Amino acid sequence: MKTEDLKNSQEYKYGFTTDVENIRAPRGLNEETIKFISNIKKEPKWMLDWRLKAFNRLKVLKEPDWQKPKYPKINYQDLYYYSAPKSTSEKPKSLDEIDPKILETYKKLGIPLDEQKRLNGIAVDAVFDSVSVATTFKDELTKKGIIFCSISEAIQKHPDLVKKYLGSVIPLSDHYFATLNSAVFTDGSFVYIPPNTRCPMELSTYFRINASETGQFERTLIIADKGSYVSYLEGCTAPMRDENQLHAANVELVALDDAEIKYSTVQNWYPGDENGVGGIYNFVTKRGACRGRNSKISWTQVETGSAITWKYPSCILQGDNSVGEFYSIAITNNHQKADTGTKMIHLGKNTKSKIISKGISAGKADNMYRGLVEIKNKASNSRNYTQCDSLLMGNKCGAHTIPYIKNNNSSSTIEHEATTTKINEEQLYYCNQRGLDQEEAVSLIVNGFCKEVLQQLPMEFAVEAQKLVAISLEGSVG
Amino acid sequence: MLNIKNLEAKVDNKHILNGLNLDIKPGEVHAIMGPNGSGKSTLANVLSGKNGYETKGVIKFNGENLSELSTEERAQKGIFLAFQYPLEIPGVNTNVFLRTSLNSSLNKFSPSFTYSRSFLMFCFDHFSIISFIF
Repeated sequence: MKTEDLKNSQEYKYGFTTDVENIRAPRGLNEETIKFISNIKKEPKWMLDWRLKAFNRLKVLKEPDWQKPKYPKINYQDLYYYSAPKSTSEKPKSLDEIDPKILETYKKLGIPLDEQKRLNGIAVDAVFDSVSVATTFKDELTKKGIIFCSISEAIQKHPDLVKKYLGSVIPLSDHYFATLNSAVFTDGSFVYIPPNTRCPMELSTYFRINASETGQFERTLIIADKGSYVSYLEGCTAPMRDENQLHAANVELVALDDAEIKYSTVQNWYPGDENGVGGIYNFVTKRGACRGRNSKISWTQVETGSAITWKYPSCILQGDNSVGEFYSIAITNNHQKADTGTKMIHLGKNTKSKIISKGISAGKADNMYRGLVEIKNKASNSRNYTQCDSLLMGNKCGAHTIPYIKNNNSSSTIEHEATTTKINEEQLYYCNQRGLDQEEAVSLIVNGFCKEVLQQLPMEFAVEAQKLVAISLEGSVG
Repeated sequence: MLNIKNLEAKVDNKHILNGLNLDIKPGEVHAIMGPNGSGKSTLANVLSGKNGYETKGVIKFNGENLSELSTEERAQKGIFLAFQYPLEIPGVNTNVFLRTSLNSSLNKFSPSFTYSRSFLMFCFDHFSIISFIF
């Protein structure tokens, strides 16, 4: 990247706000709010009951506080739980009906919703605050029997699938934030791939928080039926604000016999300014169940944004011979904090899991890998390989690795490797001497460090992710 | 071409170079010899602009004062240091490293080599022995 581009991109370039008129739920968390959300989405009764059940459960749950990054108490009564652009009160049926301002927003973000301008054959579901505004390439997918729509639409049109799988991986009463999400979730994506179908294009959801004082609670449910394959990608951005905004999503994946799901995340929520003011709290529950034999779930995440990232995308390896993978890059700069990792629960025989985690901290940031590998007593001949590498830049940041390892089966093997390194002066000098300036040198070294993970991303996004890695570390060496 | 006048270099208040004078004309090859610790590497490091040295004196390269330039700017003007023990940058292969290096040294307005393939073609066109590296 040339110096001029670097200068222009110094600041968070997605920090703009879009001026649209909103419909909001009344402030605060109570039964009325939940009924309001359910009502505005014209949900059937069973859905409302499900939400209320979650809400009742929430009353007795306590917010967890065992995590490393502490944050000031969130006043849940002070938040808005639903905010949607007025113009989308009825979901627009075609692109012409979408508020041009919203289209413009996505254009600025580099996400064309116009199918004429194909984005390398990627189908996009765009979620703006609490509602899905557009889903592209629907017709083409429908021909193959693939369902790709917003979760609200799925509740109306495919209630049997939703009833069967919603909450089957992350139960209603799982933990505080997951239960909160179950009570007030607003929108998100729903994917169903029929048996023996290979999804012909990348599916992608683009989340955008726009309104202030609003929490975003989305829910994603992906089901890959027997022998199917799908690759799914999510991206996220938010405006720059000096308040902290809460993002508590639930993502559930279900893979049946011989099915494979590849789930990639490029998370670039607003991280706060260099003094740690503002930014998103990204408290997300992501869990995949390898239900069937020979099924596979692979998580890839590139976490560069958010003031606090707190999430553990997990795999429950239920089916025999199932495979779970987790590839992660977590970059924290300035005052950002991350407490992230994965959980691999081996239940079936001959199950395999692989964890590659790369944590990079710069500035005054704190980066933590926390992971659980558990092999239950019936999971004979199972294997896990874990590699956690941390890279430190400067002397005010921190990196921590906390692996929890439980093996209850004597025929199974668990391996754990971890390294902590600092970018060394000699490497920088070597790069400088070959004509690279400081920023280019850091970008080259860091991209090399993350290579194993970046390689896992779909091609179109790998290049973007590389740039993002370079941008989020700008000005961190000096 | 390279003119060094009264070059002094200090590390932690320890004098290593004490007023070195050297003129090198185009086409000349010079070998600097001396026992361990006599300052050969320090001279090379100071010429390339490595951090950590306190220096005095003048280094001119093609009439331009080098002391005001950063390491990468000097490199781009043609000061090249062959490392005794070249480092490995984990995860960065030779192709990517050379390509990044070349791109950063190219003029801002000339096209850069974004893809491995175009870079390889460029190498095949310009060098004959390069093929085995890749």
